[in-house]
Amino acid sequence: MHVEFFGVPRERAGVSELELHADTLGQLLGTLAERMPSLSEIIQRDRLHPAFVANLNGDRFVTDPHTPLRADDSVLILSADAGG
Amino acid sequence: MTSGYHGCVLRIDAGSGHAERVPVSDAVLRAYLGGSGLGTRLLLDAGAAEADPLSPEASLVFAFSPLVGSPLTTSAKFAVVGKSPLTGRINDSLASSGFAVAGKGTGCDALLITGRAPELSVIVIDAEGSEDGALPAVRLEPAADFRGATCRDTEEGLRARLGSSFRIASIGPAGECLVRYATISHDGRHAGRGGSGAVLGAKRIKAIAVRGKRRVEWARPTELTALSRDLSKKSFGPATAKYRELGTATNLLTFNRFGALPTRNFQSGTFDEAQNLSPETLAATRDKTRASCVACTIGCEHIYGFGADGAKVGVRVEYESLFALGSLCGVGDSEAVLRASKRCDELGIDTISAGGTIAFAMECVEQGWLDAPWLRFGSGDALLRAIELIGAREGLGSLLAEGSRRAAEVIGHDSIAIAPQVKGLEIPGYEPRALQTMALGFAVGARGADHNRSGAYEVDFSNKVDRRHITLDAVRHAIDTEDKAALMDSMILCKFLRGVFEDFYAESAVMLGAVTGWDVTGDELRETARRIVGAKREFNLRAGWTPAEDTLPDRLLNTPLPNDPEAALSRDRLDALVSEYHRQRGW
Repeated sequence: MHVEFFGVPRERAGVSELELHADTLGQLLGTLAERMPSLSEIIQRDRLHPAFVANLNGDRFVTDPHTPLRADDSVLILSADAGG
Repeated sequence: MTSGYHGCVLRIDAGSGHAERVPVSDAVLRAYLGGSGLGTRLLLDAGAAEADPLSPEASLVFAFSPLVGSPLTTSAKFAVVGKSPLTGRINDSLASSGFAVAGKGTGCDALLITGRAPELSVIVIDAEGSEDGALPAVRLEPAADFRGATCRDTEEGLRARLGSSFRIASIGPAGECLVRYATISHDGRHAGRGGSGAVLGAKRIKAIAVRGKRRVEWARPTELTALSRDLSKKSFGPATAKYRELGTATNLLTFNRFGALPTRNFQSGTFDEAQNLSPETLAATRDKTRASCVACTIGCEHIYGFGADGAKVGVRVEYESLFALGSLCGVGDSEAVLRASKRCDELGIDTISAGGTIAFAMECVEQGWLDAPWLRFGSGDALLRAIELIGAREGLGSLLAEGSRRAAEVIGHDSIAIAPQVKGLEIPGYEPRALQTMALGFAVGARGADHNRSGAYEVDFSNKVDRRHITLDAVRHAIDTEDKAALMDSMILCKFLRGVFEDFYAESAVMLGAVTGWDVTGDELRETARRIVGAKREFNLRAGWTPAEDTLPDRLLNTPLPNDPEAALSRDRLDALVSEYHRQRGW
């Protein structure tokens, strides 16, 4: 699936987007943490730090690591505090 | 007297320069705290809801708070509270920095300004050399030599004249010209929304200069020091990283991705040229520095250079200015947008209302309802020209200085349907059809469409609701964000801290207790927040509010977003949400 980073997660990741394969949100986050140590502040094992959120396809915000992912999903990772 | 307070308001007649200290009871302070809450209470007691906001009888309050002067990070803030000349409803605008500390240092918890000076003047309040409890020296000084001066020049000029230990809040040319969304500026920051600058301008007050070092006692100083240290530490953590590292401008690309970036006067939720205005692009192409308010450990101000070599002049860049002067006007030229933002700062104009009103006028031109062929979406030159005309109230600027609602009444053609405002206040950068909890927050906002008095967008960016299909369950969440904002604006702490609290009310109660000595609880502060929201409603009721005002422009209720058909909000659904909001409020 497609992973898109916004704001601080993009700064940490050093890229705006990438492609990964994962069956669940937790698996995706775990893989990201492993590949990108710079995301250590953002990803805690298979979950996001409470200051960050994940969204599926611009539609649904998801937190459960067991959330299933499909190959054509886009996972957006951004700051929980979206306003200001 | 309760620790953290002086227990009085300094009431100043701008007509004569006469000042008096008016006691404020402990009960009122505990019930309304400070900032927005105390300001609203003082206005109600002064009968300000019924007065014309641009008349000599109008009252304008500069309210400090129990936390001002404490070591708690972000606490150096003040609220300017009055009746808005833009909306005719309550208006509370907050700003930060040394004016709050020096203002409270004059020995009062608020300044209440009434009357009208005989000529353009400066109110000078000087507590230096006088004893605690004594009336500070208050005088009017002529300010004719500052007529037409920018906010920055006024501040620098007055400090050169009066002394560098004075702190200055001033209006720019727009405030003098009674632009209905003129700001009051201090230290490069603005009490921005709702036109407080026009209220001060109508009083012929160019600036207020304060000097004072009177201290209040802290009830439990050791505990307060420890709490302050802990809060500062949290302010360096992930919850504030966004503000520290990128600033609010980072919202731009996020909102664009979610189809929530208002574009071309709310005709779209995405902007093709958003990337040009993003902080990532700005940082890659321009000089950048960071700054912070007095007593703040976050440092959210990101200042970008612009000009021929990209670094001649610096302007503080916020998301709201980028959206309002950029995507909303269809302008993707970052140089023009930064220049426009800077010019608004200099003139003392709220960038959101300026951008909203100009974008509205651009669409009216497009429709053939307004004869100003030069004013076209996408033209940076037109944007800059319109801002100049507004700041001077010249030509078309005289109409646009009235804001989009009044301009629509003059333009006709049912253009009110596309005027991007609620209660007369232009809508900030949150597309209501894509963020529907925020849509409710806008509709019911006491000061009109506002993202600082309702943080309902946070709900839309969470798994609590489906942001494009919200149900009545969203109402309680919207109320919760409104209550929290009311408390933060009254204690006062910066909202950029809101993510660091695990139990906001309980932790706030501990801080407030350490300052005041009150045995205050989180539950009490929940009630206090509701009371403050209720006081604003009471003000509006007295000012003539009716339930019909709690709505959104027709465009947002009749037309789905073109790029996102699911982002649609019907009038029936909004009405149901508003009714449920009123029911849960007990109104």
